[in-house]
Amino acid sequence: MTATIATRVRDRAAASPEVIALREKDLGIWQQVSWAGYWRTAELVGHALLALGIEPGDRVAVHSDNRREWLYADVGTVAVGAATVGLYPTNPVAEVAYLLQHSGARVLIAEDQEQVDKALAAGDLPALERIVYVEPRGIRNRYDDPRLLAWPDFLALGKDHQERHPDAVAQRMARCQPNDVVTLIYTSGTTGPPKGAMLTAANVEFAIQELIERGGFASPPPSARDSVLSYLPLCHVAERIFSTWFGAGAGVCVHFAESIETVAGNLREVQPTILFGVPRIWEKIAAGVQIRIDSADPIKRRIGGFWLRRADWIGGVLAANAGRHTAASRIVYGIGWLFCYRALLDRVGLREVRYAASGAAPIAPEVLRFFMGLGVPMHEVYGMTENTAVATANRPGRVKVGTVGEAHPSVEVRIDELTGEIQTRHLGTFAGYWRDPAATKAVLAADGWLRTGDVGEWVDGTHLRITDRMKDIIITAGGKNIAPSELENALKASPYIKEALVIGDRRRFLAALIGIEPDTVGHWAQTRRLSYTTYADLAAKPEVVALVQSVVDDVNVRFATVEQVRSFRLLPKLLDHEDGELTATQKLKRSAVLSSFDGLVEAMYAKESR
Amino acid sequence: MSRPLLYLSYRQDMALLNTGAKRGWTAVLAVGGLVLPFVVQDDLLIVLATAWVAAIGAIGLNIVTGYGGQVSLGHAFFLAIGAYTAAAISGDPDSTRLIGFGITSLPVWLLAAGLVAGLAGLIVAPLAARLRGLYLAVVTLGLVFIGEHVFKHWRELTGGVGVGRPAAVPELFGVQFAVDGAMFTKAQKLYLLMLVLLVIFGVLARNLVRSRVGRALAAVRDRDLAAAVIGVDVTRYKMIAFAVSSFYAGVAGALLYVMIGFVEPGSFNLAMSVQYIAMILIGGVATISGSVLGAVFITLLPRVTRELPAVLPFVSSSPGSGGITVFQVETILYGLLIIGFLIFEPRGLFGIWTRLRTYWKAWPFSH
Repeated sequence: MTATIATRVRDRAAASPEVIALREKDLGIWQQVSWAGYWRTAELVGHALLALGIEPGDRVAVHSDNRREWLYADVGTVAVGAATVGLYPTNPVAEVAYLLQHSGARVLIAEDQEQVDKALAAGDLPALERIVYVEPRGIRNRYDDPRLLAWPDFLALGKDHQERHPDAVAQRMARCQPNDVVTLIYTSGTTGPPKGAMLTAANVEFAIQELIERGGFASPPPSARDSVLSYLPLCHVAERIFSTWFGAGAGVCVHFAESIETVAGNLREVQPTILFGVPRIWEKIAAGVQIRIDSADPIKRRIGGFWLRRADWIGGVLAANAGRHTAASRIVYGIGWLFCYRALLDRVGLREVRYAASGAAPIAPEVLRFFMGLGVPMHEVYGMTENTAVATANRPGRVKVGTVGEAHPSVEVRIDELTGEIQTRHLGTFAGYWRDPAATKAVLAADGWLRTGDVGEWVDGTHLRITDRMKDIIITAGGKNIAPSELENALKASPYIKEALVIGDRRRFLAALIGIEPDTVGHWAQTRRLSYTTYADLAAKPEVVALVQSVVDDVNVRFATVEQVRSFRLLPKLLDHEDGELTATQKLKRSAVLSSFDGLVEAMYAKESR
Repeated sequence: MSRPLLYLSYRQDMALLNTGAKRGWTAVLAVGGLVLPFVVQDDLLIVLATAWVAAIGAIGLNIVTGYGGQVSLGHAFFLAIGAYTAAAISGDPDSTRLIGFGITSLPVWLLAAGLVAGLAGLIVAPLAARLRGLYLAVVTLGLVFIGEHVFKHWRELTGGVGVGRPAAVPELFGVQFAVDGAMFTKAQKLYLLMLVLLVIFGVLARNLVRSRVGRALAAVRDRDLAAAVIGVDVTRYKMIAFAVSSFYAGVAGALLYVMIGFVEPGSFNLAMSVQYIAMILIGGVATISGSVLGAVFITLLPRVTRELPAVLPFVSSSPGSGGITVFQVETILYGLLIIGFLIFEPRGLFGIWTRLRTYWKAWPFSH
């Protein structure tokens, strides 16, 4: 029998039925689900899917925020041999329509009225037979679409099926083959429509073994004593690893955040031991700490500021020493821990974190150093959906800040000599894009090497440094190759800057479109008694422009003359997924932003040329 | 691994001692309270015992005024009812001058004192249902004057002005508390008795105010109309507030004169009501611990002012010797303290404590 997340959850339920697997906050109380309860419900979902006639290889879509039902649906779907398709809760109607139509999902598990509405508005979806809704509010007794089915009725269907065919799910699980596709993960698609990467049972097993059991990330490997907070979209491969796979593979207790807005509060309650974040999250926490220290009363501001500067130094020492303390830094940290760091980490919910990771996008080294200095063991990791997120990672004690770390033991990584492109080969390489052989062929060679589309180089022969996405490399009119992400990350390391987009392809100099962070800049404006109304108004203030100019100047000092940002404009609005400027993972869609703010760009170059 | 904020049940969320620090400090306070009688002079112990009793009374006033928002100046009236009920029940049955039933068992007369006062509170409560704010204050003020008149002239019960009657006799399971014993002195016994009673009544009150009743009272205080809209039966909860408050006042009144052994009808005047108002204002409105702090503060204040003549030459210890007397200083201090707290720290001593606590709790941030 092939091991899948379903067999793993089942085995955990048998081995430790009473241990807590999931916690979700409901009306102020963290409701607990044991492994036995987890498997019981997941198995019911499996039976319900069988009752609805789901065959091996069919697709089941899940359109929901992170919650228990997401995991039940995922495990239940895999148990009956079907593939889970995750949809981002922020996906607008057009994308939902595209994803449902393209994946050909037969059953959709939608969270609430909002997501049901999107599916109903998606137009003609011949494959979609059932829409299961989890939250009945606004749907029950109001909607009369025959495809709708409430979650309790769905489970009742499963219960009924279980009574008549008690072994049906077990039989399906026994028939699972390593090459069966267990999930379609649609990549965020910074260019073009999203592509559905097919991950097989063998891919997922390889990722679980490599990243969890062989300690590819945390050392010692994660165990049932660890806990994680699940808050990034579960349809992304990274959160799937840290929530579903860490749970099923290592018994890590998963806590669901109430929403992305409550992450700060939930972190404080849960105090997870393992925390994964995208750079945006880490930048936000770092900016939050800085702002809260700055706005504290004078005594706390002095003490907090003093220890933050010490943390900066400690972070520098750690970064220079592969993440290990020297005697001096350990003593300084010990004193700081008593006076500041322990309390500070407790306030932001990082007190118990023994392994923190950043991935999914490049992060500024300053941010990594900030957290390392505070005593959070930060590790930048690298991977992508197409290789089941298994490629390289900074290993505890062997950290090189600015790199994405070393290749995992069972992973081959090479850099193409001509283009500098990073390529990987291992058992976790995906089976191809769903219904898109041409795109598959473009990235997956016959000999198993996967083209990642990232340009990189080796540092000291062991650690991999990513320069940029291949297609983002800027070649200026002067013929100079420039990686914009480095500049952009240096800019985004400032608490005042949320988005930065460096441009200059075939231009004489580099320019940038910059989006300010409304919280911090708003606070900055308030302390200066600068009145403003909207985001656009704030971004248009000459004082704010001057503030950003000072940040840009600081960054420019660290770069060569040709790599300096010579002109910039502030974006008049917050970029948004709905408007097509960001992907579902909050990554900037360069082409979309450039075309929306085409006028600003031209103005920058026109003014300078005069 | 401690995760104090990860609430897994409402029981844990509502727990009185929900953090290790609270448990630790409670243990320290308990040990301190129990050790105190063996290291402190007897006369100070009596003052402290009086403070514990005053704290019970202040908790009662805080329930109706602090939590329920019903300003009551009639607290002295309910204290008096408790005092006389207890004195009469435990009084000498053979006395020709005074009413007495000779039941000296403490639980009996304590409960009776509370219940009779509570009943009186229930009778007054309908007034509160119809009146708000200043009007209620004036009406309850009237109670004090009616009470004063009745108690001065009902000689069979109170013994009359200037004469008075013996206070209730504290006796529990055959142990007499108001006399020196073989192992403990009178002061030590009374101190411990009152401390235990305060803890019992304090915990009961704390339980009441964190429950449905407490939340309903707070809703009524913040805006009775809004409370009624969300389904709080305003009249009912005002009645509960007055009944419970008067019960506490009755209990406190019954115990208050045990230390001196004598009740004088003239003492239940407006000044006494104001003293209790001062306790909750200085201690902290709508907090149980604040009531205790305020009661201790106000009760110990005369002890402190009595030391003043030694330090300040213009303060004299007896009237007629020029300058101002300690009693005048005391009255002035009451006024100044109430004004000062209302302006600078409306949440009282307890507010200072919470401010300190949040300062460290939020470290190294401000909030």
